[in-house]
Amino acid sequence: MAKRQKRFEVLEQRPVNKDGFIKEWVEVGLVAMDSPNDPKPGIKIEGGRVVELDGKRRDDFDMIDAWIADHCIDTSVAEEAMGFDSLKFARMLVDINVPRAEIVRLSVGMTPAKLLDVLKRMNVVELMMAMQKLRPRRTPSNQAHVTNLKDTPALLAADAAEGAYRGFTELETTVGVGRYAPMNALSILVGSQTGRPGALTQCAVEEALELTMGMRGLTAYAETVSVYGTEQVFVDGDDTPWSKGFLASAYASRGLKMRYTSGTGSEVQMGYAEGKSMLYLEIRCVMITKAAGVQGLQNGSISVIGVPGAVPGGIRAVLAENVATVLVDLEVASGNDQTFTHSPIRNTARMLMQFLPGTDLIFSGYSAVPNYDNMFAGSTHDCDDYDDYLVLQRDLQVDGGLRPVREQEVVEIRNKAARALQAVFEELGLPAITDEEVEAATYAHGSKEMPDRNVPEDLRAIESFMKRGGTGLDVVRALAKRGFNDVGEGVLGMLKEKVSGDYLHTSAIFDERFEVLSAVNDPNDYQGPGTGYRLEGERWELLKNIPQAISPEEV
Amino acid sequence: MNITEDMVKEIILEVLQQMQGNREPAITPQKDVPPIQIKEVGAARPGTDRNEVVIGVPPAFGTAMTKTIIDIPHREVLREMMAGIEEEGLKPRLVRVNKTADVGFIAHEAAKLSGSGIGIGTISRGTTVIHQKDLAPLQNLELFSQSPLVERETFRAIGRNAAKYAKGEQPSPVPVRNDPMARPRYQGLAALLHNKEVQYVKADRPSTEISVQL
Repeated sequence: MAKRQKRFEVLEQRPVNKDGFIKEWVEVGLVAMDSPNDPKPGIKIEGGRVVELDGKRRDDFDMIDAWIADHCIDTSVAEEAMGFDSLKFARMLVDINVPRAEIVRLSVGMTPAKLLDVLKRMNVVELMMAMQKLRPRRTPSNQAHVTNLKDTPALLAADAAEGAYRGFTELETTVGVGRYAPMNALSILVGSQTGRPGALTQCAVEEALELTMGMRGLTAYAETVSVYGTEQVFVDGDDTPWSKGFLASAYASRGLKMRYTSGTGSEVQMGYAEGKSMLYLEIRCVMITKAAGVQGLQNGSISVIGVPGAVPGGIRAVLAENVATVLVDLEVASGNDQTFTHSPIRNTARMLMQFLPGTDLIFSGYSAVPNYDNMFAGSTHDCDDYDDYLVLQRDLQVDGGLRPVREQEVVEIRNKAARALQAVFEELGLPAITDEEVEAATYAHGSKEMPDRNVPEDLRAIESFMKRGGTGLDVVRALAKRGFNDVGEGVLGMLKEKVSGDYLHTSAIFDERFEVLSAVNDPNDYQGPGTGYRLEGERWELLKNIPQAISPEEV
Repeated sequence: MNITEDMVKEIILEVLQQMQGNREPAITPQKDVPPIQIKEVGAARPGTDRNEVVIGVPPAFGTAMTKTIIDIPHREVLREMMAGIEEEGLKPRLVRVNKTADVGFIAHEAAKLSGSGIGIGTISRGTTVIHQKDLAPLQNLELFSQSPLVERETFRAIGRNAAKYAKGEQPSPVPVRNDPMARPRYQGLAALLHNKEVQYVKADRPSTEISVQL
């Protein structure tokens, strides 16, 4: 071995050098936001119909081009919008004198290549400024992941309760073992309504099952409806824009909130990016979503973050895709939900891009469990980072959606959730949750401290619950019968909201009284200092008072 | 040869590190694994033998690509899965799914061709699915989505469980490992590998029966 320079030896051992970096491979589309194969912006409209899109004639459209041309682009403003100089429009995005409404009036007339051409001209600070101004809901918010390695229900309920109590307005679970899905959905439903009535829950699994659980009232919304920017990847997913649109309509018809999911890098990850840049293809996904009439999108690369994370400018592209989403007036759940680096420094820097401007849901989601229990393969931040996150909010006077809590309150809420679920299991004839499990779930850091359950027995029982047509109403009945009236009212409230449908509006979340907060009644009115969402008053008092801060009276 | 103090230190450090095994292996193109001898036997036909489990692999598997993302030779991958199936008293059958590199669809195709209705799909980097013919293509019995965590023993256990499903049993699923740091380390590499895998796909070519010399 050649004699090593000692600083290089130290550097080599730093966490960042455990990350995998790759060089751009333009021919297959392993490039963040600027490929020579990206088309040039352009549109031709005849008789109100798009006949040419970004240099491609209608005869040559693939199904995504056709979908976007026919259902997304507002032809009444397209010519005006496309006539704008891209640089001028980019400047309008950061100009406090141009209100959000004016930007959105024009952006919906733009083509994918035009939006790319605009976003390419902005640095990350400008992109953050655009996000601050353009996100649809004025009040920023946050989503959590609640999962565990054992799919153990009492712990899911306790973690959902704590998550909701800490301030997450949406909670997402998934499974280690696929057939556990309805049991996991049920567990976080009960847990979430124990922690804070009105917290929305979802269970990310295969689409048909996910829809069934929503229709049965075991979940309140859905997010894992994936769309892709190239035809081949869509087909590989056994789908088309039309089948995804149909699925979205199915949710809407049952009064269920839903958003799509996409992200830079997915097409090249699946091997069919057609040499286009990751951001160009992602903008197509944003427009597919808009065209389907869906209110929002989860993006920010999501489960593919290691791909943009590995190429130059990739994390800038990830912020740009979030901005593309709000730019066409969609709710954004902005990622930060998957480990992408070994380096805590890189990790925080990536998160600040959404945390500082605020988005509809800054994380999608933040791991409310230790990352070893995170069945989405780990989030950027987990329950061990709560205090760092609360201090960041306090340092920068930024509302990241979480609030300080006291240990004793959390113990009580966790215990109540586990007991409520124990009662529900007993009433529904599901395999018993023991007192030992309730106790363990109350005090556990993660599933390592949970007793093992009989997995085949759990799976048989939950399959039978689904076969006999079990619904959220059975859960309400069980809770009421066993004296958990407040939790039961939360679950019932969630079912009622599907009838009224108010939370189908863009960017909708609930407060603890089931009042909707959305782009309709809480529209983002940011236009520079003194406007928009400000962390002040009561909320700032709440967030700045972290328990570990010493008061003058104490010294 | 002059042995300096620095060299001694270096050697001691290196030995210590090897003993403690605390140093993660670097991602470097590792030593060559030779291709597997694979014979194309003809078009793949639906089986009638209820005692078989079909294993499906994409075109590059074992040929243009020869090892998983954590450098398990494809020869070993097949050997472990087949041994797992045989341990349960069932017979493995191999097919090459030419039209796709999507692991879910490969597994589903294998299941549809399998006399027992149970199939396994494995792609070159190691991502694996156990499938059943009556499920929707994107459903599965068991999914091993993080290729860097699919190890030699996992492949054996996958073979065993697939055979158990084929016998109508309800086995405990193979424990799913979870490593939040697999993505930052391997996802870029996985994208490189998959883009290579896809270049060998022949969309119009039906699946073929193959036999291998392991």
